[in-house]
Amino acid sequence: MLARPRPVVIVILLVLLAYAVALPFFGSAFALKFASRVLITGIFVISLDLLIGVTGMVSFGHALYFGLGAYSLYFISPASSAANAFLAIPFGILLAGAVAAVVGSVVVLTRGFYFIMVTLAFGQMGFSLFFDTKIAGGTDGAYINVRPVFSLGSQQLLNFSDRTAFFYFCLVALVLSYLFLLWLVRTPFGRVLQGIHHNEARMSALGFNTYAYKLASYVIAGAMAGFAGVLFAAIDGYVAPELLGWRESGLAIMMVVLGGAGTLYGPVLGAILYSLVEETLKSASELTAIFSLVMSSTTAKWLGGILANSWSMALGFFLIAAVLAAPKGIAGFIEKYSGEAKRAKPREIKPLAETRERAKAMQLEVENLTRAFGGLVAVNGVSVKFPPNKVHGIIGPNGAGKTTFINVLSGALKPTQGNIRLEGEEIGGQKPHNVARRGLGRSYQRTNVILPFTARENCALAAQAQFPSPFRVSNQWRGHEEDKAVENALKASGIAPERADIRASNLSHGEQRQLEIAMLIASGAKLLLLDEPLAGMGPEETGRVTALLRALAADHTVVLIEHDMDAIFAAADTLTVLVEGKLLAHGTPEEIRNNAAVREAYLGEWGQQ
Amino acid sequence: MTPAVLAENINTHYGRSHILRGVSFRVAPGETVSLLGRNGMGKTTLLRTLAGLVRPSSGSIQLNGSDVTSSRASVRSRAGLAIVPEGRGIFPNLTVAENLTFASRANAKGERPWPLERVYSLFPRLSERKHHWGNELSGGEQQMLSIGRALMTSPSIILLDEATEGLAPKLRDEIWSTVKQIAESGIAAIIVDKNLNDLLALADRNTIMAKGEIVFDGTSAALRSDEALIHRHLGV
Amino acid sequence: MDLVLIQLLNGVQYGLLIFLAASGLTLVFGIMGVINLSHGSFYMLGAYAALTLTQFTGDIFLSLVLGVPLAFAFGFIIEWLFIRHLYDRDHLQQVLLTFSLILIFNEAQKLLWGSYPHSVPVPGYLQGGVKISAFLTYPYYRIAVAAFCVALALLMVFVIQKTRIGRIIRAGESNREMVEALGIDSRLLFRFVFAAGVALAATAGIVAAPLESVYPGIGEPVLIISFVVVVIGGIGSVKGAFIGAILIGVADALGKVYFPAFSSSVVYALMAAVLIARPGGLFGRAA
Repeated sequence: MLARPRPVVIVILLVLLAYAVALPFFGSAFALKFASRVLITGIFVISLDLLIGVTGMVSFGHALYFGLGAYSLYFISPASSAANAFLAIPFGILLAGAVAAVVGSVVVLTRGFYFIMVTLAFGQMGFSLFFDTKIAGGTDGAYINVRPVFSLGSQQLLNFSDRTAFFYFCLVALVLSYLFLLWLVRTPFGRVLQGIHHNEARMSALGFNTYAYKLASYVIAGAMAGFAGVLFAAIDGYVAPELLGWRESGLAIMMVVLGGAGTLYGPVLGAILYSLVEETLKSASELTAIFSLVMSSTTAKWLGGILANSWSMALGFFLIAAVLAAPKGIAGFIEKYSGEAKRAKPREIKPLAETRERAKAMQLEVENLTRAFGGLVAVNGVSVKFPPNKVHGIIGPNGAGKTTFINVLSGALKPTQGNIRLEGEEIGGQKPHNVARRGLGRSYQRTNVILPFTARENCALAAQAQFPSPFRVSNQWRGHEEDKAVENALKASGIAPERADIRASNLSHGEQRQLEIAMLIASGAKLLLLDEPLAGMGPEETGRVTALLRALAADHTVVLIEHDMDAIFAAADTLTVLVEGKLLAHGTPEEIRNNAAVREAYLGEWGQQ
Repeated sequence: MTPAVLAENINTHYGRSHILRGVSFRVAPGETVSLLGRNGMGKTTLLRTLAGLVRPSSGSIQLNGSDVTSSRASVRSRAGLAIVPEGRGIFPNLTVAENLTFASRANAKGERPWPLERVYSLFPRLSERKHHWGNELSGGEQQMLSIGRALMTSPSIILLDEATEGLAPKLRDEIWSTVKQIAESGIAAIIVDKNLNDLLALADRNTIMAKGEIVFDGTSAALRSDEALIHRHLGV
Repeated sequence: MDLVLIQLLNGVQYGLLIFLAASGLTLVFGIMGVINLSHGSFYMLGAYAALTLTQFTGDIFLSLVLGVPLAFAFGFIIEWLFIRHLYDRDHLQQVLLTFSLILIFNEAQKLLWGSYPHSVPVPGYLQGGVKISAFLTYPYYRIAVAAFCVALALLMVFVIQKTRIGRIIRAGESNREMVEALGIDSRLLFRFVFAAGVALAATAGIVAAPLESVYPGIGEPVLIISFVVVVIGGIGSVKGAFIGAILIGVADALGKVYFPAFSSSVVYALMAAVLIARPGGLFGRAA
């Protein structure tokens, strides 16, 4: 999860801040204006990072809101006097935010490539609105004759025409924007956004309304871009349709990636770098100066001249090199040199303390369950009871319908016929997140945890899903209950305390599987449905997780599909054998082992001997 | 004699999941080797690793004496290896004839032991349906198509992954008799199948995989005489 | 009414041209999984190539004969130099890297041909037009372009359905892995498909050159509209690209007639509508 910036980064940011604060004292008017532009671009690209880096939505039309913000200043500014910034700024933010809400409600329905395309389309629609029509001067653009002023009554508090005052205002705006987003990302709301970025399907299965979260993120980002747009328009007092175009959107994406998507501070660095590179490449004299360091002055002058004329080609090459060499951008480069703690060896799981009371877990009853896919009957009239506080294994040859069976139980598929009762309540046909809410948690064959989050954060997210009221920004409400749930889940799944704050991607395979189980427990599941939890594990890990499953039966009901016969025979209280969708046998491991029909199912004619 | 397939100490991972654990596998030219074991034990992963569809994390693979460890699947196919995958992998948007002739070529010696006519005589049903689209075929017919397509590349090594899975008994027998013909025609074969009896009767050698490792490698007679082993790794 | 008719004819002809460009894009995206933003640049470069070649040959169709193989070779080189490094990267990086290519190509164009608009002459034997009414004639050249595009579309259908490379392309659409496992090096397949895509875009640029002036930036609208067509028609579907392109052409034309102020938005609105109703496009695989 997005951590607070590392000390190195904080130092760099503070140095930049100090430089900025001092700039008006020694910098030229041009430098001040250039720096203001960079700061405003910084706000714009940070807002885009909320979408791209935090929520994982690559928008190719973010400049739409930037441009709308800029044009809004034109609309609200009287022809020959200053607009009141107290009105103009909120107006720009609200306008951009409102449009983002409307557009977002449509575009957020799409993902991936399609999302890129639809956002591009709406950006272009916005562009053509201002380009093709005369709403605001059309292709010529429009002028804001007098810069806005913060005024209360007749008191002028801050005049944007004053370069220095404007510069400091932008600086404060950028710092506040950064701090705001940094805070937002670390709230429960922000956690969900990051979860959606890395594993939207899992978030949805946990019970979060991912559409609402994504839409919220889109609107916030749009509003913030609108804010940046208002400020931008105040720099030169000129707005043009190109501000909304896809070139602007593309360059913004460029800066986000150059700086390091997802870090929030990275894109600001990216904006600084890009602006400097662009400025340098455009200026023949600066290039000449640089080249003179390594070649004769005539060659340098010639090369500098050419490059300055074709600066965007040089820019293109530079960007390609930058993206290929440093895919994680500047931030990735910096962070490489402040790596994470090395992996400690996983420890033996401690069984739950004996003094713990046996909590009554849930029982699951399946009656005549059938699931057909057209002509193919994958699950055929299966009836079985899974009593609570026991470990139940489901085994059977390939194609027996085991995974389909679990899919129906967890709500991923609807039953064609039959009933599923969890503690007496019918759950057949319910959606997965509703089934999860009732207490039935399901894990998957392939590990499905949120890899960039630590084990603790994964569990926190799962615990949060129990009360998924959207847009929770306070860590206080219900925080205590959730913390308890997280601690309990980590302990019950055997994840050692010193491993809990390590990123899931750095955990061993077995620990990741344990984390899967921990997430289910944290989300309140009392009946655990596990699909091949031991797959891909060596003997030591298998032993550990098998012991864990038995320990879990004290508080939960565990139902698992497995192929590892040794492990499941040792761990299970009962075994259910499915063959070609039908229930062949159900009983204790001993009974199953001695069952001739089961033997035949596995060994074919051989078993008949 | 140079082995047709020589895999040494193969380790394959899917992310963190360690599926193949130090597997070594050997097939002599023309030999038929069975690959037994319950599901999830790594059989399909092993076949895919040999075919080049999955990169191992370590180990080496040689086909007919040449090292193909870092070679793409297309190179291995041209070196004489054909795979009939689980799920058949036929092209649904090509006709039967187009599927069959898709990669038709002669072997290293310039011979074509399995020309189109021979494949059609092996699978008359395909001949009847030669202009149907791949996705219009039944499961059994798709299986035939997948086998025929592989044969037309004139392979010296063939990997058959559950070629009879999910088929009605009669169809199963039909396909199995083709498998027997293929195995007896001099192609080195690695066969994964559920029917233990038939497989033991056909195979020159048998291997069993459990939890990503080879736990048995021996003749059918040796395996038949070890009931405990059979039950332990293949039964319940 | 005449105006509507002319616009519709123009719209269909425009749609057919866009189809050429979009078909290349859909194949590249469908088979190779690469988002290539520089696709419009190939259209633009084709138009400028037509400019130069026609100065030598005097005839646009002769320029075509020379230009298409050149474009194919160019596409081959670009794939080998650059595009093949994109296959393992995520969409975001592909977008950025190909966006940078646009900058480079645009600048290269300016260096070679300058920023002023140029015009390419319509061949002498296609001057003039057919009389539709007392006041309106429809230019022969536009009819020729439309006919050419249709012929090319039929040729593409023939190649895809009846030739070996077409089989490989179709197979690559549905099961890339199996194509590789049967002995066909997908790297070469990709190189070919990309080069074909470039050639198609350039062809569109060449034949379109005499229709309007040739200026920097003619590639961008083509790029965006091509993507819209791909989205509407479905990724990887040439048939979808054809139908989508015609739909777009007609919608754009009608938009110009009935909503002149918002004509460009009609196309995007259409795309948004299709995306909501059929997320995979009209003929594509599900998103």
